[in-house]
Amino acid sequence: MQQVKNRLGVIFFPAFDWAISPTHPEREERLLYTMDQLKEEGIFDIPGITEYKPDVATIDDVERVHFCFPDVKSNVTDSHLISAGGTIKAARLIMEKDEDKAFALVRPPGHHAMKVVHGGRGFCNINIEAIMIEYLRDNYGIKKVAIVDTDCHHGDGSQDIYWHDPDTLYISIHQDGRTLYPGSGFTHEIGGPKAKGKTINIPLPPNTSDEGFLYALEHVVLPILEDFKPEIVVNSAGQDNHYTDPITNMNFSATGYATLNKMLDPDLVVLEGGYSIQGALPYVNLGIVLALAGLDYSYVKEPDYDPAKFKMDTKTMDYIKRICETAYNNYFSPPQSDITLEKDGDWIVRDKEIFYDTSYIVEKQKEYLYDCNQCRGVLKIETSSTRVTNCIAIEAPLNCCERCLNIAYMEYEKAKKRAYSHIQFIDRVNKKVLK
Amino acid sequence: MLFGIDVGGTHTDAVLIDKEKGVRAYTKIPTMTNDLLGSIRAAIKEILSQEKNVKIERFNLSTTLCTNAIVQDMLEPVGMLVSAGPGIHPENFRIGEYYEIIPGGLDHRGTEISPLDLDYAKEIVNRFLKQGIEVFSVVSKFSPRNPAHEEQLASLIKDRAKFITKGYKLSAQLNFPRRIATAYYNSAVWPIFVNFLDSVEDCLKEFNFAPKINILKADGGTMTIAGARMYPVESIFSGPAASVMGIIALCDIKEDAIVMDVGGTTTDIGIFASGDPLIEPENVRLKERPTLVRAMKVKSIGLGGDSMVSIKNNCINIGPKRVGPCMAVGGDTPTFLDALNIISQECYGDKEASLRGIAQLNENLSCVLDKTASEIVEQGCKILKKEVTDFIDEINERPIYTIHEMLEFRKIEPKKIYLMGGPAKLLAPYVEREFGLPVIVPDFFEVANAIGAALARPTMQAELLADTEKGIITIPELGITDKISKHYNLKVAREELKAKMEDYIKREFSWNLDIKDIEVIEESSMNMVKDVFTVGKDIRVKCQIKPGISEGYEKGVRCICNR
Repeated sequence: MQQVKNRLGVIFFPAFDWAISPTHPEREERLLYTMDQLKEEGIFDIPGITEYKPDVATIDDVERVHFCFPDVKSNVTDSHLISAGGTIKAARLIMEKDEDKAFALVRPPGHHAMKVVHGGRGFCNINIEAIMIEYLRDNYGIKKVAIVDTDCHHGDGSQDIYWHDPDTLYISIHQDGRTLYPGSGFTHEIGGPKAKGKTINIPLPPNTSDEGFLYALEHVVLPILEDFKPEIVVNSAGQDNHYTDPITNMNFSATGYATLNKMLDPDLVVLEGGYSIQGALPYVNLGIVLALAGLDYSYVKEPDYDPAKFKMDTKTMDYIKRICETAYNNYFSPPQSDITLEKDGDWIVRDKEIFYDTSYIVEKQKEYLYDCNQCRGVLKIETSSTRVTNCIAIEAPLNCCERCLNIAYMEYEKAKKRAYSHIQFIDRVNKKVLK
Repeated sequence: MLFGIDVGGTHTDAVLIDKEKGVRAYTKIPTMTNDLLGSIRAAIKEILSQEKNVKIERFNLSTTLCTNAIVQDMLEPVGMLVSAGPGIHPENFRIGEYYEIIPGGLDHRGTEISPLDLDYAKEIVNRFLKQGIEVFSVVSKFSPRNPAHEEQLASLIKDRAKFITKGYKLSAQLNFPRRIATAYYNSAVWPIFVNFLDSVEDCLKEFNFAPKINILKADGGTMTIAGARMYPVESIFSGPAASVMGIIALCDIKEDAIVMDVGGTTTDIGIFASGDPLIEPENVRLKERPTLVRAMKVKSIGLGGDSMVSIKNNCINIGPKRVGPCMAVGGDTPTFLDALNIISQECYGDKEASLRGIAQLNENLSCVLDKTASEIVEQGCKILKKEVTDFIDEINERPIYTIHEMLEFRKIEPKKIYLMGGPAKLLAPYVEREFGLPVIVPDFFEVANAIGAALARPTMQAELLADTEKGIITIPELGITDKISKHYNLKVAREELKAKMEDYIKREFSWNLDIKDIEVIEESSMNMVKDVFTVGKDIRVKCQIKPGISEGYEKGVRCICNR
């Protein structure tokens, strides 16, 4: 009989009746063969590994995180709320000490969904990790959280949501943005002025295999986590770094993914991308489950896996080492000067243009962050898209100072007098959302 | 007439049922644990003493023989040949003393990853035979997707063994470790069970009966004696299922409800959702190992009429140890039933003896015996309530996989309790008070399990898998593998599976079932996409014939389920 080292809860929700379109990579049968493999292995019969049903996330759970325009309902389906509810269930399982670790094996994914939502980007509508993390903060008083995003695509949505948050460390390991969607996640992206070094990007070159990934983990991710000392570590476990993935160019293996999880030792794991539904997902998910539970995964190998084929040359490894050194320094001694910093009175401003590839929408934003010396500052965003124009979003963040809370309410009152089509005001201090 | 018999751990219950007139005779006798055949013979004699000129058309038997053989380790050594592709190493699932792993493997679509090492397998088979092994089981990972490896292994053994279990024939359900355990136990109980079935046939001949013989399964259905000779492991834990079937026969249940069968040693709890009994999705566990044997969702609690009662430091303890019988019928240790007997309006055996028993327990003699007894009963009902509540919570937490199910999901909220078993009548008012739900005790509540056994009909589950890219369908349970065209679709698959199941039932059970009795429980048709092109469909249909009561017998036995 196999003995688990960690009790593991798996929230398995394959959403067999939901897809973006019939041949879309994010479609019904994405987890079909994963289910077959997990069932055939008898995973849920192993004492200490338990399968759970997801919760359904509420509108409040979404509005705690996102500014959705025109509203939440026009941006999500039941499937999104169940997927987000799966992550909430995972969080509850470990906080209530029912399980030591939890894996939300759910779809659709979420890490391309940004703070403001006008539609779907990169197969994502709402950010299921952020919904989980903010649920943890509101319900269990958790403060410091680290997200390690191992999806092949840069998690630009998660990065955007936590850009100004010094209490959330976001580290992304992904395929270089010059060669893959969404074209971001370069080493100079290190977080906003109040959270410098709390966003860390490790863009790896195409064809990086186990050796390169595990090097980055060992030499960048683990030392940073050691220093940051998060209360909770989350792995955004995209599985599209796999060498068989049809829409990416990396050479990571199932054993590699399992080893990564063994070394990282996350509390919560959330499935993100991964579109090699036959050749990779069954083996990668099995490997991750076994690694999380502390069981032997050395026999979990793709039938066609030949490590010799994916040996990395010295030149590429040297390049990866240089990228890793930069990323490491970005955390421990982030560059202080920022040529892009623009100010308008007491506000730090940024202009952004965002393309929603899944919904085919363009959004234009002006972001204002109140330059406060007491806290991370009030956030205000003016946003228009080809779908909804002239909206405003205001957030008084968790733990913000009294002055900022007052400023946030003043801004809200001011906004009401103007001709905005939609107003969203999130008051995290008093757990209120006003429209 | 139909004869139903349930050979349980404590009692052997038997009934004789006529289609028009209902129950013609019934008996409840103590089971002779070491002579199950003797218990059957005694029960038949008792029934025949009540009703003369009997012609038995069908003899349905529920027996604990296989369960006991497994629990007491009276098992035949089994030659296990196991093969697996990548994943958890099959060494983790070792069972029995003769367990060998044969290199070779299939993937999740049944595609061969590496061929079987048949030379090595031959060596192992020869060695096992030399060591005197007579029964074998062959199991490969993903065999329900492609039975080729199991068939290759079986063909090496063929006529050189008395019996071979092929894993894929047990169930289409994917679960390699359970397939291994189930195949092992199926072969391990085969000799003792087949021997027993022979004796039962002989015994019936002695009485000049030549009925159709069926064996009860844990899912509340029956299999033919021929089926039982192939799949003896299916006969385990059929007792609680027989009880549930009895209630279905006796009462017209429409709502969410709880069924409790209070026996001597245990109380079995079953759950109904809108009138349908729940089938256990988790299957039966044997010695901590889950199997593929499907069972009714039944929970056994170590609390029954013969459960020992003790009081220590003012703390009442009931069960799970069984003594017995209770003092009211001549036992020497006070039991739960004795306590019940004291406070009940009705009388069971010698009430004075029960009183003496409870008096023994009473440390504090100033206390009134009635009060002690009612505290014991109250405590018992509290235990029942807690166990039932936990059980329903667990059911309501079961995993589901589609948005439709998630939104349609309805929690089970019982509205009534059906109580049966020996102490049912005495216990009813106290259960009613504790649960705050109406309690119904049907007629023949003492032998409802035997009525369930007599009237149970065949059950069956089968799954059809079509892979239009490969152009193959398989129905593992029926041993069917066939070629199909690219245009095969879900509708055709559904009809094909139903037709094949209907044929099978007609052939095996001579039962002309209504096609409506075959219901689809799961179905899906998903595109298989390579790059961005649809290359085929993965079609799956799972159908079942639900447990039910033999047609036409309901009106004879149904009681008015009022109190």
